[in-house]
Amino acid sequence: MTHAFAHLHVASAFSLRYGTAFPAALVRRAAEHGMDTLALTDRDGLYGAVKHVIACHEQGVRPVVGVDLALDGASATPGSSGPGSSTPDDLFGGGLPSGRTPRGRHSGHGHGRGTAADPARVVVLAHSDGWASLCRLVTAAHQAGERGAPYVTPGMVAEHATGPDGGPRLTVLLGPRSGVGRAVAERRDDQARALLAAWRAVVPDLVVEVSDLYGYRDANTAARMIGLADSMGVPVVLTNAVRYLDAADHQVGNVLDAARKLVPLDGRHLDDPTAHAYLKDGAEMARVAARICGGDTGRAERLLAETRRVAGRCVLDPVEIAPLLDPERPRLHLPEVGEDPVPLLRRRCEEGLARRGLERSAEARDRLAAELHVIEKKRLSGYFTSVAGITDMIRAMGVRCAIRGSGAGSLVNYLIGIGEVNPIEHGLLMERFLSEGRKGLPDIDIDVESARRLDCYRAILDRYGEDRVACVSMMETYRARSAIRDVGAAMGLPPHEIDVIAKAFPQVRARQIRAALSDLPELRDSGLNDRSLETVFRLAERLDGLPRHIALHPCGVLIGNSTLRDRTPVERSLLEFPMSQFDKDDVEEAGLLKLDVLGVRMQSALAYALQEVERVENRKIDLDAVPRDDRETYDMIRRSRTIGCFQIESPGQRELVAKLEPRTMHDLIVDISLFRPGPVNSDMVTPYLETRHGFREARYPHESLRDALRETNGVVVFHEQVMKVIDVMTGSGLSEADRARRALGTPEGREAVRAWFVPLARENGYAHDVVERAWKVLDAFGGFGFCKAHAAAFALPTYQSAWLKRHHTAAFLAGVLTHDPGMYPSRVILDEARQCGVDVLPLDVNRSGKTWLVERTGPAEGGPGEFGRGYGLRVPFSAVRGVSGAEVDRMVAGRPYTSLADFWERARPSRPVAERIVEVGGFDALHGLRPGEPRWRPGRLTRRDLIAQVGALDRGSPAGAEGQLPMGFTEHVMPGELPEMTEAEAVEAELEILGMDVSHHVMDFYRDLLDAIGVTRARDLLRQRNGAEILVAGVKVATQTPAVRSGQRVIFTTLDDSTGPIDLTFFESVQAHTAATVFGSWLLMARGVVRRTGGRAVSLRAVHCWNLADLDRVWRTQGLDAVRALISEVPVPGAGVGGRPIEYGNGFRVSPYSDNGAPPAVREGRFLGQPSAPQRRLWHASSGSSGPPPGR
Amino acid sequence: MSRLYGDPIEVWVRDGHPAQFVWRDRLYTVREIQDHWVVAREWWKTSDADPGERRFWRVGAAAGKEVGTYELRFDTASGGWLLLRAWD
Repeated sequence: MTHAFAHLHVASAFSLRYGTAFPAALVRRAAEHGMDTLALTDRDGLYGAVKHVIACHEQGVRPVVGVDLALDGASATPGSSGPGSSTPDDLFGGGLPSGRTPRGRHSGHGHGRGTAADPARVVVLAHSDGWASLCRLVTAAHQAGERGAPYVTPGMVAEHATGPDGGPRLTVLLGPRSGVGRAVAERRDDQARALLAAWRAVVPDLVVEVSDLYGYRDANTAARMIGLADSMGVPVVLTNAVRYLDAADHQVGNVLDAARKLVPLDGRHLDDPTAHAYLKDGAEMARVAARICGGDTGRAERLLAETRRVAGRCVLDPVEIAPLLDPERPRLHLPEVGEDPVPLLRRRCEEGLARRGLERSAEARDRLAAELHVIEKKRLSGYFTSVAGITDMIRAMGVRCAIRGSGAGSLVNYLIGIGEVNPIEHGLLMERFLSEGRKGLPDIDIDVESARRLDCYRAILDRYGEDRVACVSMMETYRARSAIRDVGAAMGLPPHEIDVIAKAFPQVRARQIRAALSDLPELRDSGLNDRSLETVFRLAERLDGLPRHIALHPCGVLIGNSTLRDRTPVERSLLEFPMSQFDKDDVEEAGLLKLDVLGVRMQSALAYALQEVERVENRKIDLDAVPRDDRETYDMIRRSRTIGCFQIESPGQRELVAKLEPRTMHDLIVDISLFRPGPVNSDMVTPYLETRHGFREARYPHESLRDALRETNGVVVFHEQVMKVIDVMTGSGLSEADRARRALGTPEGREAVRAWFVPLARENGYAHDVVERAWKVLDAFGGFGFCKAHAAAFALPTYQSAWLKRHHTAAFLAGVLTHDPGMYPSRVILDEARQCGVDVLPLDVNRSGKTWLVERTGPAEGGPGEFGRGYGLRVPFSAVRGVSGAEVDRMVAGRPYTSLADFWERARPSRPVAERIVEVGGFDALHGLRPGEPRWRPGRLTRRDLIAQVGALDRGSPAGAEGQLPMGFTEHVMPGELPEMTEAEAVEAELEILGMDVSHHVMDFYRDLLDAIGVTRARDLLRQRNGAEILVAGVKVATQTPAVRSGQRVIFTTLDDSTGPIDLTFFESVQAHTAATVFGSWLLMARGVVRRTGGRAVSLRAVHCWNLADLDRVWRTQGLDAVRALISEVPVPGAGVGGRPIEYGNGFRVSPYSDNGAPPAVREGRFLGQPSAPQRRLWHASSGSSGPPPGR
Repeated sequence: MSRLYGDPIEVWVRDGHPAQFVWRDRLYTVREIQDHWVVAREWWKTSDADPGERRFWRVGAAAGKEVGTYELRFDTASGGWLLLRAWD
């Protein structure tokens, strides 16, 4: 092994849009080659370093870590380092080609290494004691460069290259892509010599790196670099500049080169003209050495020996980088608290007992003592006090803040005010969150208002300082759509075609592209199966899962101590936050503590609603103090009137709450836990509902398990219950039980748990059949189920949102419309508002605000279910498409306006925005306008007249001096000169401009057609008998393709026909003739069979469907009979959805196209990273659904 | 001066390198490998999934006494050799 070759220059997939192999695969291959050392030197960062170190540790390979950094071109020009200052960079002056200086192009074979735009690069390896220096150098490189384009100067490298003791900490490799290498390649030998001398003067451990990828003149350049280095006494090492695992990855590399440089594929733009930059084995590398040294075997030997020597001094200790590799006593890097944290936390818990009224509870005291014992043993007291300090600070800022996840199971968290859920009251377990046996660190997750999340980050940064805090990053990877976009661009397809193709795909993995094309009916017939696109799809599949760009993790914040920057490289996020290059797994492995601060839009919506109640009614509500047993709130939930409410608004949840009929917080907790792929899959829902409603008696595998399972009538729903069952039957303690529970997730794990559980339970005196029965329950449960602590934390905002909706409907919906917390687009929420009796008030320049405002409109009395009567919701300025924040501010500040001209002058909107405001009726109240008949109104002003006036005002404004014109000095527009808009045109404009129908429901315009062909309305559905085949129609509200038990891809679609929602189910058997229409149209008519699913729940099994707009056109042009003929056509049966269902360990199957992704809250966090892009989203589509099909 | 030819030739290979070749009915013996490099094919211009690579050798070779310089090319996909150019 001592003679094995060591690759010192290796790029993994974490060299973004450059590398193609993941660290673990590279390490495995190196181990197969018998190599005992392997470096990872990704471009621009240490994104893969922790993964590399861990993979090396597992494979018994010694890890080396470095970075491949661009050199600053400017540092090569004299004077750039500032007048008067004498820095090492001055040595590099005199126009030496260390960077972006123009260079001659190779002629003839025309494949020079890079182009003039490519900066020179160096590789920097950390010495065994140089990890901190490497981290700090990478951080400095990112500080120096633009975001995404870090660079170093030789001076920066020199500054980090030695430790305080003067010993070297970093090894610098000058290779073919360095200034020296380029000068040699271009036969500017003097320049090469001068540059190498300059480097040697500032960096103590400097080596020259040669490589030969069998490109034109590669070997020749390498030989001359050796000559130069030998003559100056600089050591030389051999690398293969690895970026592939196998030579066959070369094409992927080409595509990445093109994607990175934003150019089409062409020989000129490729980084490597050959396919040789793969992880070659020792024999191949020996051949390369021999080739370079031209048969001088002695020199080749020395080259390989020097490479091993350099590798040897750069080997890192894996446990130093990733302390969690030491399971016994991991060295954690906890925040400094200032005083001894142990008594501090004890004191705060004591105070908490008093504040929460638990001083006299023996149970609470025992529990507290047990928790503190574990916390102190793990030396985490400082962490808890730090987190409590942060939540106190956030609340003091007036930001709503709630605990989420398993942390709610800890009494300490409740006592010190991190969370508001009492774990004892709900039977939550600390061990699910933190236990002695648990490897790793506890995660405390807190939810804050999404609109204030970044304020919270800033406050944390201010309190602890940038040196100690950094956000966690995450890698966005290639999925089907992004892969098609990048490959399409590289292959030179026109941008609009790429767009159409990419959007046709559902959000699937890139490697599923071609399978999706043949499996999904709506894609099968789309024309995308064309042979000409075959190459695009084949390559796009190969990009599957490769990191594409780095982004701010939606919630992770690292809280460390003053050595944080020695342990993780930090760059800046898009919003200028310091961001670690490690992802959440790396951070944990690195022994750093993180706090998840997740922005939750519902919290913002709640805060907004409370603020509106206070503004309009002068009432201050303490939402956390609202009684949690309000009858009217639960009545509303049981009638499925939950659109807008947290967690329970989806069609499936509306069906479930109607069946479950929740009456208490605990019911809500169960409801939230049941509505997950796991419980749905293993069919826990039916037995639970049957026993709940008394159709069946609760059954328990054994009397001793009654305590653990009583709360859910014998059905295992929660993680905590699994732990209790295991604990009761084995007597092993909850901490051990949690370990067993986590092992249930995999088939191997289940086998192991069974082998441990069964004998232990038998030993404890349980009969054979009891143990078998109990095991069956655990086995069926698999790794699914839900953490009850998490559900309990979620149930609180769920209840609070429902309470607000019931009692302050308009204010709540204003919050929902303003902060968009849920799955439905605005138009659906508006429709719900109407159903609740809330008036929808059009845009009005004198009454609209920046966001949705509540107005009193009359007495608060309404029909049944109209609990929002008496209030209205005013469309805000910000809903207008294309309006800027500054314009909105001016419009609001300038109210009231006396005329359009006054508005134009003082609010200074852009012309299109002013026109849009007129089109949607923003001046109707001011000028007494009204769309509709009669359209010609001689002598009376119309909206179109006003639009003409906007044009006149715009022409009248002198360029560059908007609003400087005296009033009245504009063209005169005759009132009534232009016809008024019809009501349909008005609604069209509203949909186009506001993304919602305000003045009329869209379906109002189809009423005659629906009546003519006898379509059933939503409000009459309950009167239909089971099994009847009926026609329904409506606006599409949502399409979802959730994971269902049968392994089919089932499309659930909700339509809204202005009288209520209609839920349709499309099974695979009808998708051949319906899928394209369902995904591709907005207005639908469908034929379906009535299925009564509960007392108040009806859904339809769809048989066929049509685009309602098309039917309407046929009706108008060809008459009713033509429509009748169309809808009575019998569809030709076609193939359904293909693809092999994904089979879970416990035997349950789901379609590969189902949307069984992240819990909704995680998805919520994701788009917070992107500032609110104007979206005209008219319906909800889950990520498993296809987009509109391309035009055929 | 070099001339471009592009003639198909027959080549005998030893140790992965050309040793002898027949060009225009004369047998040349390779005396020296001066240079060897590889160029991957521009696969995106073809419909093949993997069009392979082209391997180039610049050799000193002689059919009789006079040694000239020749550039040979091997195409991995077609398996064929060409004599690309000659300095003689």
